[in-house]
Amino acid sequence: MDVALAPLDRTPGLWIVLVSACALGTLVWIVSIAYTVGVGIGTWGNNVPVAWAFGIINFVWWIGIGHAGTFISAFLLLLNQPWRASIGRMAEAMTVIALAIAATFPLLHLGRPWFAHWLVPYPSTMGVWPNFKSALPWDVAAIASYFLVSVVFFYLGLVPDLATARDRLDGRLRRQIYGVFALGWNSAGRQWRRRRAALKMIAAVAAMLVVSVHSIVSLDFSIAQVSGWHSTLFPPYFVIGAIYSGLAMVLALAVPIRRAYRLERIMTLDDLERLSTLLLTVGLLLAYCYVVELFLSSQSSDPRERAIHLVHWPFGPYARMYWTMLALNVGAPQLFWSRRLRRNTTALFGASIAILIGMWLERFVIVVSSLSRDGLPAHWHDYTPTWVDAGLLLGSLSVFGLCFLLFLRFVPPVALSELRRDRFEHTERHA
Amino acid sequence: MSVSRDEMARRLGIDPSIESATRRRFVKLLGASAALAGLDGCTRMPASNILPYVDQPELTPGVPQYYATSMVLDGFATGLLVESHEGRPTKVEGNPDHPASLGAAGVYEQASVLQLYDPHRAWQVRHEKSAASWSELAAALAPASLRSRVGARGERLALLLEPTSSPLERELIDRVRGLYPAAHVHFYAPLGLLADAFVPQYDLREADVIVAIDADFLASGPFHLRRARQFAERRRPESARGMSRCYAIEASVTPTGMAADHRFAMRPGELVPVLERLSGALGGATSGTSQSASGDAWIASIARDLRAHAGRSVVIAGPYLPYRAQALAVQINQTLKNVGRTIWFTRSTLLGAGDPRASLGPLVDALRAGQIDTLICAGGNPAYASAAGHDLGGLLRRVRQSVYLGLYENETARECTWMVPASHYLEHWGDARAYDGTLSLVQPLIEPLHGGKTTSELLSLVLGAPDARSYDLVRESWRRGGGIGTGAEFDDGWRHVLGRGVVDGSAFAPESSPPPAAAAATPAIDSGTMDIAFRPHARVHDGTFANNAWLQELPDPITTLTWENAAQISPTTARRLGIVDGDILALQAAGRSVRLPAVAIAGHPDDAVTVHFGYGRDGAERVARGLGVSVYPVWPGDRFSTRANVSRVADAPRRDLAMTQTHRTLESSAPARLVTQQEYAQLPPSPRRRMLTLYEPAVSLPDPPAPTQWGMTIDLGACIGCGACTVACQAENNVPVVGREDVRRGREMHWLRIDWYAPADGQPSSLSQPMLCQHCEKAPCEYVCPVEATVHSRDGLNEMIYNRCVGTRFCSNNCPYKVRRFNWFDYSEKLTDGEQLVQNPDVTVRERGVMEKCTFCVQRIRQAEIAARVAGRPLRSTDVETACQQACPTRAIVFGSIAEPGSEVARERASPRAYAVLEDLGTEPRVLYLARVRNPNPDIERRS
Repeated sequence: MDVALAPLDRTPGLWIVLVSACALGTLVWIVSIAYTVGVGIGTWGNNVPVAWAFGIINFVWWIGIGHAGTFISAFLLLLNQPWRASIGRMAEAMTVIALAIAATFPLLHLGRPWFAHWLVPYPSTMGVWPNFKSALPWDVAAIASYFLVSVVFFYLGLVPDLATARDRLDGRLRRQIYGVFALGWNSAGRQWRRRRAALKMIAAVAAMLVVSVHSIVSLDFSIAQVSGWHSTLFPPYFVIGAIYSGLAMVLALAVPIRRAYRLERIMTLDDLERLSTLLLTVGLLLAYCYVVELFLSSQSSDPRERAIHLVHWPFGPYARMYWTMLALNVGAPQLFWSRRLRRNTTALFGASIAILIGMWLERFVIVVSSLSRDGLPAHWHDYTPTWVDAGLLLGSLSVFGLCFLLFLRFVPPVALSELRRDRFEHTERHA
Repeated sequence: MSVSRDEMARRLGIDPSIESATRRRFVKLLGASAALAGLDGCTRMPASNILPYVDQPELTPGVPQYYATSMVLDGFATGLLVESHEGRPTKVEGNPDHPASLGAAGVYEQASVLQLYDPHRAWQVRHEKSAASWSELAAALAPASLRSRVGARGERLALLLEPTSSPLERELIDRVRGLYPAAHVHFYAPLGLLADAFVPQYDLREADVIVAIDADFLASGPFHLRRARQFAERRRPESARGMSRCYAIEASVTPTGMAADHRFAMRPGELVPVLERLSGALGGATSGTSQSASGDAWIASIARDLRAHAGRSVVIAGPYLPYRAQALAVQINQTLKNVGRTIWFTRSTLLGAGDPRASLGPLVDALRAGQIDTLICAGGNPAYASAAGHDLGGLLRRVRQSVYLGLYENETARECTWMVPASHYLEHWGDARAYDGTLSLVQPLIEPLHGGKTTSELLSLVLGAPDARSYDLVRESWRRGGGIGTGAEFDDGWRHVLGRGVVDGSAFAPESSPPPAAAAATPAIDSGTMDIAFRPHARVHDGTFANNAWLQELPDPITTLTWENAAQISPTTARRLGIVDGDILALQAAGRSVRLPAVAIAGHPDDAVTVHFGYGRDGAERVARGLGVSVYPVWPGDRFSTRANVSRVADAPRRDLAMTQTHRTLESSAPARLVTQQEYAQLPPSPRRRMLTLYEPAVSLPDPPAPTQWGMTIDLGACIGCGACTVACQAENNVPVVGREDVRRGREMHWLRIDWYAPADGQPSSLSQPMLCQHCEKAPCEYVCPVEATVHSRDGLNEMIYNRCVGTRFCSNNCPYKVRRFNWFDYSEKLTDGEQLVQNPDVTVRERGVMEKCTFCVQRIRQAEIAARVAGRPLRSTDVETACQQACPTRAIVFGSIAEPGSEVARERASPRAYAVLEDLGTEPRVLYLARVRNPNPDIERRS
């Protein structure tokens, strides 16, 4: 148990180095945001026809990553998979942070972000409501509810561990702070019972949200008439892609953390193997989506749709992105057919990073490659990002890193209470 | 040079504060939505009596006035009507009563209003390097002091003027000659049509067959608006007199070639032989120089077609062809008995036309010989825009006293000892003749912003009357000339001309005898690897308009290149040289060399290069400086083609050209349609069908619909892709300019653009298609907007509500026509106070972060609605003209109510040629296009 609580008690040198690096990256992020808001979207590379680009790609990518935490915690909780306990906390924290970062992109992406609240349905003096036919207000609702539920779910799970930290850690101030966040938890049986019931209930809601959020994000594309977007396949395809990238991110984080904090006995190789099996499964599902997408479009009666999938994506100006995406997303998980590789942390880490890049490229292909060849051929135009685009992407990664490092330092990174319960139940069953 | 508000106010001579206005007046003006910039203009009404074009009530704030005036280019006038808001000209339209305009206005005329407010214009009389005044110049040039310098007879005095047709200037020059009988008077513009004393006039409505030899009669040169109109009248298959057939044989790709039924690309050096062969095939006297067999089949076909239409055909030789070609064209037209029917000749309206002594060459000789003490140069920019062999800049520098009158402190001003700011044509009085001799007035709309002077005032100063004002000079000259009467009836005549803009019946009569054969010039022997054709730039002409941002950003009609020039070559030549667009070519001729980026265009002749004048400026014009490359250094000066060594500059980095269009293939959607006459005859006359759908419409139209339902049709058969509509739209709707870098990124803001398509792979992009918001009845942009910033009006407009827009750009993604424009930056913020004056007060200036697009000129629609309501009558189709429609020289754009039976737009929508672009998407656009119909020669068609 102390192993799990140990990270809260020390500040390793590596942690300081990483936090400093991420803080520097965060500075880049802040500068990029200030420049964008101060000068205009023109500082990005977007144009007409490619009116959406990095902003939306990053948004969808981060939202996708934000799927794994809730998927692992909620789905696996409902399915009674005890192995989720070791990584659940970390995945949930990742979810919350990723969602918060994701939400910044559509905001920054607006021409006039100071009017973003007009997308929210509230009775304004103007007497104008958002246009509910557009998918964007759906998006606002879906993401806002998913974010709220994720935060509550995360926090509810965290409360007993904060209480443990309050009780076990030294230092008056620290105990007071943890005490405040522990909300007076005293491990009474009634509290445990109610917490468990609440968790199950929220898990049931969250499980639906996992499916709905990315479905709705996908509708931002599929309600449009743009060839390459206008497809009924999109909701399941996007949800699968989101879970895929989220799981990859969980693995990419779990491998180094378990080593740095010597959590090998808690996040066991068996757990990682289960995750990688899941990754392979979802990867195969995604590959199936790619095949279906190609098949459906090849049968389309709209020549523009055929051209997008059969000509412009694979052989157009962004062909390299397309083939790299396929190689990474479809190729990388095939490693996990081998048990040896499933238990090799280096392979796991490498494949996860490859999948994360592949999933970013997938959004690039969908958004940029389609738009650059949309509409009248006379107005086709290619897209090149600027340093601000790159700054926002790298900056958002740094912000994620910074928040996650702070989480590791100040919040118990594994669910102590769950582990405790599991171990208790395990012992009891054997007794 | 950015001018502060106070500085501008000081120069305008008004109080910058508004406290001086009474509260009542202030509120009144606010109520009229007059911007503060508008207030600045209030006092700028010229003091002399000017008259609105037609009888209009007293000036009402918010209601614009129209005045007739003329713009002169290379000596030829185009009659215009200029819209004035509270004394501030904002928009130029064509004068329907003027023969060069017929109601249309070209890109130069449209954009000239921006030049008026150009903050880089010269505003200070300068002597050497210090500020001076008009009176100091008057002292320096007073006859007493000037005589002592230039001799009693003025033998050391030279005048270098722009080509002019002004009777006033003719009279003043004569008087200067009276004072200084030996003075040298020369006229020069690089593209001035000064070689011939007799010029051809055409009536293309009468021509069944048109053969254009290197003649871009539709889009450049004097009278091109008129010719485009006449041409288009016979290009509609519905035309009662049948379609004409046009052959273009040309050395560079031009809008005329793109509109022709048959086009043959020839190197410049091959054009005269082709004319000789054509003449031979028609039985004319051949010189026997060329008897190529293989290529002659098509010439024979053309000749047969011409002979079959003798008297109803015309052969037009372009102005840049050598004398020999002009003479051959005259001879062919005579053989075909076309003279007097489709073509006739008149005297040139230009002073000194056909007189080699009045050209630039003798002046250069005199300057070289040091015979000139005082040179007065009025207008133009000869130090830049002349053959480098003349080294006119260097020669000017050596002249002891030189006076330059010009709009800018340009290359010529730099070399002169005196600089006098010229007034813009919207600021001064004057007169000028159109190409056919029709006399018109230049009437100011605003007092000179920078105290500029006219050529007439400068000449008057030389005559010892420095205080004469252009208004008095014109009136006195006209009174003496007696064209509109003397005495009492003069004032009536004057008022009439002020109102209409033209002197009725003043066109030159046809000459009874054909013009004398032009002098046979000895053909120049040039050496080099390729033919080079020198052409005016479609947007900046010879450099005159290089500082005009509207024109810089207006895509070249052939390459869609903006903000610079490039050497045009054929794709085959490009492959042979191993270059792609943007690679740098070196052109060596006459011992000099220029380097400029190349661009390959289908339809260009092989082993030839076309270059354009007007770029590579380095005067004080900030917009123009540093853009493109000047080709004057390799220009021989006396002809428009030469031979040069052309090679690729291997070590130069590739230039990223700012072209607005990079794909010219029609793809599966075939947005522009082209049919032959036979196919047209088989088109079903059925009305267009609406698509069946299982779904509720995504966009619900406001209920009930208004009685007027606006719609537009665009005739691709008439469109020549000149771009006048684009500039007209820019001027009317305050469309911002984004600059080269943003055009390169794909962010140009034009609400109306011209798309060019090649009918088939490898063919030239001959199909031009004006593309603007299609005002779809089921608009894809509307349902995706999360904040309802784009909605439908009851009269069928797709409306954009700027102050509701948050800028998600979803509408742009979902627009299949990609006609929506986003304000990536705050573009209007960059405008100086002076430049703000050009904005149309009836149209909102958009802020950063919002979408915008064509509104069907909604401000004009609403004005017409109000006017109809006030008059108590229903709104009619003809009450509204959109800016693009108004400017179009070929009347390709028709606008009106599709719900009004019998309206022109309703009629055209029912045409079998009518179709909607991307019809299969079911967007139900309110803009329909009429397919272009070709009228090819079956002989030639069969062979190819």
